[in-house]
Amino acid sequence: MLEIENIAKTFHAGTPNEVRALRGVSLKIEPGSFVIVIGTNGSGKSTLLNAVAGSFIVDTGRINLKGHEITRWPEHRRAQFIGRVFQNPFSGTAPSMTIAENLALAAKRGRNRGLGWALGSSVKTDLYDRVRAMGLGLEDRLDTAIGSLSGGQRQSLTLLMAGLLKPDLLLLDEHTAALDPKSADQVIRLTEEMIRRDKLTTMMVTHSMPQAANLGDRLIMMVQGRILHDFQGAEKQRLAPEDLLARFEEVRCSEQLDETAADMLSRQYV
Amino acid sequence: MTLLVGSFTMGLILSLLALGVLISFRVLSFRDLTVDGSITLGGSVAAILLASGWNPWLATLLAFFAGALAGTTTGILATRFQINGLLAGILVMTGLYSVNLRVMGKSNLPLMKESTLVTFAQSFATADAKWTFGRWEVSVQDICVVVMIAGLITSVALLMYAFFRTNLGLAMRAAGDNDQMIRALGVEVGWMLTFGLALSNALVALAGALLVQYQGFADVQMGIGMVVWGFASVIIGESLVGSRQIGLLLVGAVMGSILFRLLVAIALRWGLNPNDLKLVTALFVFGALVLPEAIAHLRKRIATT
Ligand SMILES: Nc1ncnc2c1ncn2[C@@H]1O[C@H](COP(=O)(O)OP(=O)(O)O)[C@@H](O)[C@H]1O
Ligand SMILES: [Mg+2]
Repeated sequence: MLEIENIAKTFHAGTPNEVRALRGVSLKIEPGSFVIVIGTNGSGKSTLLNAVAGSFIVDTGRINLKGHEITRWPEHRRAQFIGRVFQNPFSGTAPSMTIAENLALAAKRGRNRGLGWALGSSVKTDLYDRVRAMGLGLEDRLDTAIGSLSGGQRQSLTLLMAGLLKPDLLLLDEHTAALDPKSADQVIRLTEEMIRRDKLTTMMVTHSMPQAANLGDRLIMMVQGRILHDFQGAEKQRLAPEDLLARFEEVRCSEQLDETAADMLSRQYV
Repeated sequence: MTLLVGSFTMGLILSLLALGVLISFRVLSFRDLTVDGSITLGGSVAAILLASGWNPWLATLLAFFAGALAGTTTGILATRFQINGLLAGILVMTGLYSVNLRVMGKSNLPLMKESTLVTFAQSFATADAKWTFGRWEVSVQDICVVVMIAGLITSVALLMYAFFRTNLGLAMRAAGDNDQMIRALGVEVGWMLTFGLALSNALVALAGALLVQYQGFADVQMGIGMVVWGFASVIIGESLVGSRQIGLLLVGAVMGSILFRLLVAIALRWGLNPNDLKLVTALFVFGALVLPEAIAHLRKRIATT
């Protein structure tokens, strides 16, 4: 489904702010697999998802999705295959437009948008059913501006929008991180249901160790722009939150070593 | 009374300008300064075609498309060449000044005996026909002009309302509301912005075309400060309807334009020097942009102390 070949991305190259966010990442994802992505802050998880979605063009390497070489495709063109939910609940919806209008926008993801009515009666009843199936009681508020909803409600709707047309690839970037625990649970429940029901190929970044241990059938751990661990199959199923924390501790120790070295240097020079 | 009808008609004509500015300023969140140039472009294209004997409907339609071209240029500068939006508008506006002079061949073009949309509307009544309301007398010809222009504005507003409910119109609104989201849903935001600016400036040019036919002349200076007029109308309209719903915004822009024109007429009647008009308008828009924020800030300060 998705084949990433040795991609790299450096931001602000050649300036003092240079960040090597991805340093040669290769990854092959089978159709229908649910990949969890974890890693320390700034390890390049979001950058990896953004590279696949086309928020920027990678410096080197190749990306192949569903048999298409999409490495140089602009973001809007890749959208025909990809559904996304962002970390910020405000990023995924147009606040001044209504719930129904937002959903109608998603119902045309990656397709031609002509002069047909966006909210014809058949579209409307279909959207009503979809929203009611979420069980959040939002189906009677389809004509409310989405900006007036809570972060959790907006994120649930963004999820519904991303999955509306059964994307070939679903990208979730810490989509519950900004929510209160109750909303986060709800969104995770909806996520699981949707992925299982529609057999969606998914990459999900999470900061939550229980989520990482319980969800998905594969887990990759990123450190400093590289994939450090890749657990699949039975190995993934055996992973417990404690194991993951232990892996993080290892990383932190090695990074701390670097930090003390840097500290020493700065003390010598200042 | 004639003054009142005159201001009302002007307000109606300029509501096309307000509708255009509504698209760039509110729907696309793009501060488009092309307007000063494109309203004059519409005026000069219509004027020169009318002066050479074209059918007034056709001349007006071509002015509309000329405006669309101007908006497209600004859109391309801002999206393909990544020039700052304000600067892109200024560049096109500046360039248009010369274009407009070229189109007209001189800086002022009077329309004396040409048949225009206005003379067409007037032809439905005789010059001395009057209607009296109590002590007021109104020329029936003036009423005919108002009715025709009101009909035109209503159709434009209805078409816009319909458009903003289609898939394409929804995508345009989303492009101005949350570009990250709509890109992730497969819309090329740059193209959407360019298309929106074309539509916006087409409407502005239409306002210019009607304006010259109503005034009876085109002038290369007629566009100066028009974008601020547009902002003022949109802002007044918003406070009149108190909503950001697209249908109400459209109604608000038309009402705002008429009300603003009437306010100006009254102020002039009370002795406001016409030379000060643009300064007063600029101050008004400044106030409308800054005051809500300043008040919110003050409230917060008071609440925290
Ligand atoms: N658009 C960008 N411009 C500049 N730097 C960026 C950009 N996106 C990410 N970075 C940098 O790249 C590194 C990796 O970021 P990111 O992928 O967001 O990490 P995370 O794993 O926490 O999601 C960080 O140092 C971040 O500051
Ligand atoms: Mg991140």
